Formats: sequence, C-alpha cells, structure tokens
Amino acid sequence: MTEFAKILGALKSHELAQAIRRGDISALEATEASIARIERTDGAVNAFTGKAYSRARREAAAVDAQRARGEVLAPLAGVPYAVKNLFDIQGEVTLAGAKINRTHAPAVHDAFLVTRLQAAGAVLMGSLNMDEYAYGFTTENTHYGPTHNPHDLTRIAGGSSGGSAAAVAAGQVGLSLGSDTNGSIRVPASLCGVWGLKPTFGRLSRRGSYPFVHSIDHLGAFADSVDSLAMVYDALQSPDPLDPGCHALYVQPVADLAQGIDGLRIGVLGGYFQDNASLAAREAVAVAAQTLGATEVLEWPDAALGRAAAFIITSAEGGSLHLNDLRTRADDFEPLSVDRFIAGALTPAHWYLQAQRFRRLYRDRVNALFQHWDVLLAPATPVSATVIGAEWIEINGTQHPARASMGLLTQPISFAGCPVVAAPLWPAGTEGMPIGVQLIAAPWREDLALRAALALQHAGVAHLKPVEI
Amino acid sequence: MTETQVLAYVKASAAAQGLVMNDERAQRVASHLARTAHLAQLLEASPMAVADELAEIYKPLTFPPAFHKGVSP
Repeated sequence: MTEFAKILGALKSHELAQAIRRGDISALEATEASIARIERTDGAVNAFTGKAYSRARREAAAVDAQRARGEVLAPLAGVPYAVKNLFDIQGEVTLAGAKINRTHAPAVHDAFLVTRLQAAGAVLMGSLNMDEYAYGFTTENTHYGPTHNPHDLTRIAGGSSGGSAAAVAAGQVGLSLGSDTNGSIRVPASLCGVWGLKPTFGRLSRRGSYPFVHSIDHLGAFADSVDSLAMVYDALQSPDPLDPGCHALYVQPVADLAQGIDGLRIGVLGGYFQDNASLAAREAVAVAAQTLGATEVLEWPDAALGRAAAFIITSAEGGSLHLNDLRTRADDFEPLSVDRFIAGALTPAHWYLQAQRFRRLYRDRVNALFQHWDVLLAPATPVSATVIGAEWIEINGTQHPARASMGLLTQPISFAGCPVVAAPLWPAGTEGMPIGVQLIAAPWREDLALRAALALQHAGVAHLKPVEI
Repeated sequence: MTETQVLAYVKASAAAQGLVMNDERAQRVASHLARTAHLAQLLEASPMAVADELAEIYKPLTFPPAFHKGVSP
C-alpha cells in the first residue's frame, strides 16, 4: 500500500468530504482507493455482491469537474458508499439476497435513498450481501456465500445487512445503507464494530427497496464515525408522499451535535435487556452508562410482548409476501429460512391481528416512557459474533437458537418505531470482538441519540478499530 | 396447541393454501409455528379492550387542506 493510500484509508468519510472540498484529494483518487481496498479484501470478506465501478468512476469524475468549474460541492461529494442489495440500482437486478430474484428485470430507477445520496455527491461503489429477503440475523447466505466478519473471518458479520456493516468495518467504504425490520442494521453494526443508525419508523422513504415486512421495515445507514453518520442521515432525509410508510412531512437536519449531553436524561434499560444479555454485553452498556453519567436503571414496558408481536407480524407478512413462490419453487429459497417463511404464511389471522392491536397500546406505553427520559441504553446483541455455522448461543447459561436470538434485544425497540444509534464498544471477554450499545430516543429525536453517540466517540470508548485482511 | 395439533394444522392449512410439502418439511415448519404459537399465547394473555384498534389504520385520502372550509369544533 502506498503512503498516500494509507493516509486516505485513515480518513473518516466526513474528513474525506472536507479533503475533497479543499482539493487535497480528488474524488477519483478516493474512488480508486476504495476500489483497490475492495479488490484486495473482498475475496476474504464477501461483502459485495455487485460492483458498480464504471458508475463510480463516472460519478467521481463529475464531482471533480464540478470542483474544477469552481462550483460549490454537495456535502458528501466524492465520498464512496455502497448499498444492501435490496436497494434498486438503475440497470441492475435487485437481488434482495435471493436466487429467485436473479430472473427479475433490472431496476428502471435508483431507489429513492440512492437518488438522495447521488444528489449529495456520494459515489456508489456497488451492492452488498444480505440474508435472503432480509429474514435473518447472520448473513449466512447459501446462494451468495456468507459474509465474514472483518475482525475474525471465521465469524458471522451479523444480519440481515451483514455486507453493509462488514464493508465499513473492512474499510472498503466509509458509508453504507441497510434496512432494519427487527435489528438488521443494529445487529451487524454491533457484531462488526461500526456505527449504525436505524431512524424513526417513517422517517426515510423506502421507495425502490425490496420489502420484507411492510408494517415494520425501516431503512438506515452505517458509518465510520458519528460525524459521518449524521451527515449521511441528513442527506437521506426528505418527505416522500409516494411511500405510504414515509410519515415525515419535512426535513429535520441534525442540529449542532457538539452541544454534548448536558441536560439529557439518560437511563439504562434493565429487566428483559439484562436478562437476555451476556456479561460482556452488559459490560459494554456499563462503560457507555458511566461515560454518559447514566446511573438509573428502568424497565422498558412489555419488552417480551413487544418482541412476541414483532415476531408474529414479521413471519406473517414475510410469508404472505412470498406465498406464490413458496407454492411453486420452495426449493429455490434459502434453506436456512424457507421453513420459517412457510410457517409465517400459515399464521392464523387472529394471531396477526392481536399483534397489530397490541402494537398500538405498546406504542403509547413506550412514548409515555420518553416523557421522563431522553436517551436509553441497552445492548444491541446478547453476545459478540458467533462462528459461522453456529446453531446455538449461550446467554447466561441458557442455550438459544443462534439465528433467531441475535435480535432479542433490538426487536422490542424497532417495533415501537424509536430511532436508535448503535455504538461500537469493545468490552473484555469477547476475544477482541465488538458489541454494540443501543442509544434509544423517542420517535423523531434522532438528534438526541446522535448527541449521546458523539459523547461516547469523544470519550474514546466507542469507535471503529482498523483491520488488516 | 399441542405438537400433534400444530402438525395437523400445518398439513391442513398448507394443503388449503396450495403449499406442497413432504413430512420432513411439515415437521420443521410445525416446529417454527409452535414457537410462534407460544408467542401468540403471551399476547393472548395480555388484556385488550374491544376499542383497542390496529396500529395501522386505513386512510382513504390525505385530510383536505384548509381551503375546503371545514367546520371548526
């Protein structure tokens, strides 16, 4: 690696944007550095399922031409990023991790959020691996191979946005997009040691992304720093009347994050969130709590019931969405999830309706909690990354099925629709692997979670770690 | 639901939905559905009033803007 490439590789995305704006680095140089890194590492990581190098070079050249003309550059001009392969990319087939989708027609348009990042000047490098149709927490994809955790290639990257987290952890790109229905951003962010943001349900448009569970799907981002995460989040925001699930009526840019955590009421979730967390996961939360001055432990209302309802709605809507293919070509589905899809398709209507009715009560109980609190802390995963192929994880002496249980601590939160930043911490007792901490805020208050995140970053307790592959 | 009941339900409802499966798959699907049944029982035990509606409610059209001159309460 040249000295220049090393310097470039050490820059976080928000710093890279500044360097390109100043003219210290060209967008094309940044793009070539990203391509070189992907080519050197992805044989081992398997984060990418599609590479858009021609488009990337074209977009980078356009940024450099803008700068040469003396035009003001957009906030993310020249910054490389990649997207989970359920986002439409014009001219590419949207795989959504599935073999079945290979025969679909290429997308006619970019997904809405891809157009947002293009408008912000970011450079699209390609598409990223995931669990088939987003139904999983491990990215052990039989059709496209498992994504390997860059910090230990024998371990899972988490899922379902595993490629999105691994690509950032491996330094291939500094920004990526993913989706989160029950934890699919926060789980891989936790296991790969990167920053992740699952915004409020309804904040970002989902138009042009392949759905999993219409009534719970969120889209969001991964980043190499809190500053980068805030920048990409702001760039993604826009009302979209064409997505029935996009409830934001206007953009709420993240205000000055540097105002710190003064005045924020920060608490720690106990009960369910401690009972289902390993010692290392609880230690990660304790470090974050100490840094943020959070001492009080409180209960999240009906966490187990929220998880139960989310589980039922997920399986029923997911199964229903794919019923026709399940009837005619079940053997083409991912072997690790096809039986769950079928079980979902057979869910009695009563169970589903009870879960949707409960969701309304649950929302009200959760929102009441935030009258007294601004940010709440909980582990993002019960344990650190397991070995690829593991069937069971042990949590406090009890065996749990590995693939379903990685989302135990994220599912109750997303079901309420609250925004969450996943912060990468590095507790002891994990053989050097990370565990994320969820920074949870009231709906529409992403800014509060990001302020707490920045405080953790400034204190040096939450950060990425460099990897050599 | 007992294991036998879940398996019988899987076989009957799969047939009704046009989902063809052998006994091995039916057994695996039943295991998954049994887990869901357990979670459904938890919700069943959580009291709800008849007035507790669904989280998502159908909206025929966006509420009209002010120039339509609605009546103030």
